[in-house]
Amino acid sequence: MTNQTVIKVGSTATGFWGKSRTLLARRTEGRAVVLFAIIATFVTVSQPLVFTAYQVTLGRIALIGLVALGLTAVILMGELDLSVASTLAVSGVIAVTVANQTNMAIGVLAALAAGVVVSLINAFFVAIVGINSFIATLGMLFALRGMAFVIADEAPVKLQNTDLGIAFGQPLLGPLTPRIMIFFLIFIAIQIFVSRVKAGREFLAVGGNRQAAYDAGIPVKRRIFTGFIISGVVASIAGIINAVERTSADPTSGSTVLLASFAAAIIGGNYLKGGKGSIIGTLIGAASLGMLQVALTISGVQIPIQEIFIGGILLIAVITDPSSLRAVWGSLSTTFQGIKNSLAK
Amino acid sequence: MAKETFTEAMAVAKDPQDSKATKPKTSFIGFIADKGIFVFTGILVLTAVLFVDGFASLQNVTDVFHRAAPIGIVALGMTFVVITGNYLDLSVVAQAAAAGVILIAVSNAYNLIIAFAVAFVVAIIFALANGIAVGYFKANAVIVTLATTYIGLGLLRLLSGGSQVFGPADGPIATFGTSKLGPFPYSAVVLVAVTLILTFVLTRTNFGFLIRSFGVNSSATRLAGTNTGLIVIGAFMVTSMAAMFAGFVLAAFSNTAVSNMATGFDFQALAAIIVGGTSVFGGKGSVPRTLLGVVFVSILSNVLVLVQVSYGFQQVAIGSLIVLAVTVDALGRRVSKK
Repeated sequence: MTNQTVIKVGSTATGFWGKSRTLLARRTEGRAVVLFAIIATFVTVSQPLVFTAYQVTLGRIALIGLVALGLTAVILMGELDLSVASTLAVSGVIAVTVANQTNMAIGVLAALAAGVVVSLINAFFVAIVGINSFIATLGMLFALRGMAFVIADEAPVKLQNTDLGIAFGQPLLGPLTPRIMIFFLIFIAIQIFVSRVKAGREFLAVGGNRQAAYDAGIPVKRRIFTGFIISGVVASIAGIINAVERTSADPTSGSTVLLASFAAAIIGGNYLKGGKGSIIGTLIGAASLGMLQVALTISGVQIPIQEIFIGGILLIAVITDPSSLRAVWGSLSTTFQGIKNSLAK
Repeated sequence: MAKETFTEAMAVAKDPQDSKATKPKTSFIGFIADKGIFVFTGILVLTAVLFVDGFASLQNVTDVFHRAAPIGIVALGMTFVVITGNYLDLSVVAQAAAAGVILIAVSNAYNLIIAFAVAFVVAIIFALANGIAVGYFKANAVIVTLATTYIGLGLLRLLSGGSQVFGPADGPIATFGTSKLGPFPYSAVVLVAVTLILTFVLTRTNFGFLIRSFGVNSSATRLAGTNTGLIVIGAFMVTSMAAMFAGFVLAAFSNTAVSNMATGFDFQALAAIIVGGTSVFGGKGSVPRTLLGVVFVSILSNVLVLVQVSYGFQQVAIGSLIVLAVTVDALGRRVSKK
């Protein structure tokens, strides 16, 4: 821990402005903050009800954000888990089916176990077999959706213990419903894990340069397993919460969650190739989308238009990714160079 | 088989030092990854003919092809995107539905020519949006096409009111959907025609050559002076055109169209492509292989329906098939690298 200036990593800027500039350059949440500011302004002007009915807004943010938080753990490693939508559906169906036969606690445990098994299968194909995670989890998305239909016997399963479901939708602590509390607890847990725990910090290393991480002695395969387990279990929890709150588990649920949670994670500035990103960014992304959705719903906008909005935001988010902008700038500058050269001739 | 061993033996005789390239015994997994689809299709057809009641009738076989046609056409076109190494085009779900709805709704309101023109323009807009985002912005194809799917379906639902549109009972669309060329329904004829055209494009044209070389090594293709962004746009263009025709064929089947009529096309087409032996890593694959994959997947689902397997288990089967086929591809690739 000597104070050698030579090994100072990053920028050597001094003074308040220089330091804050390097701090800003290192963060990835820039676009998320901009979008959040735009949407917050728009909402304050046109639908202030979004803030007065903040309980509804928080509930919506928790709904979108929970799956996105788990997804971020996988995205940080440069992988993707498309199967979360079906994991959510399967877990909900399992939780309710088992709970109807025994009790809620066993149902929850069974659903969580299902989430772990699904993520182990995903991680096995990605880390051991070496399949691209997009395609492996795409197959799982399809297979698990079918599994949910099989377990549920192709119809929504009703939760017999409706009192529990009703109680679950009520505020528990101040204005916070259990869903919102679980969301914030999981946010804090994953945030601490990724930014303060060694294993979590290594996620970023695995995503940034897998070979370098491997050479540095990081157990890359074990980290990939950990990441998928986080995303699978969090998706399971989301599925259980949905099922209990609605007192019914629908095998088709989760298909809209897929789009929204991807949008939240990508708007949050998480780099899809891995190595860069933050859980806070995902939270800001989810908050922006949640506010937008509630505002649109309150103003009576039809569901198709809401889908267009979220799809459009996702498209803009993925295009304005720094690496995307660099790529298009590169191809534009070579084109201009070519034109300049041909003019010079 | 015998012919191949002979060629390999010739190669060994010519150049005994290069033992790696002409290893006379190919590994099992490598063989399955490369030729497995022929074996499995054969086994499947044989099993179905012998053990499944009602499979081996002309009525059923024509029916299989008739129903396979829309997904098949989509899969044939999407093969181009997969070969460029850009995974897949999820937005075919929106594109096929849009083409079908436009065909029927616009031809009801105006006429067939305008309907074709509008559908064509819509397909080009989809292809440009996907292609520019993936080709020039180097954005992830899965995410981009997921976004365009939602935008497209949202717009379609908004403009069509989300309800079904019906064509006139004796119009040209209805006639196309029900009439046959000899024993073959027109849909199957379109499927074969698209296969022939796209095979020609992929193997005999400059564009097809660039698609394949981009899939093998995108930076080498770029450094050789090719505008790689245009290649990606071209691949998405082929997919969009195929999705458009698939939408037409699908709408003509029942003379109706609705915004969710192509749900599941993306995954089933991908399953057919991967099972056919086109690699999701890009560069390796062909159009006839995809046709074979389509045949395999549709015979499999036909058999599953005939032996009365539930909808859920059918989805499980297709999902597992994707994972299995990709595993074999990945293992085969690992073997060939050694």
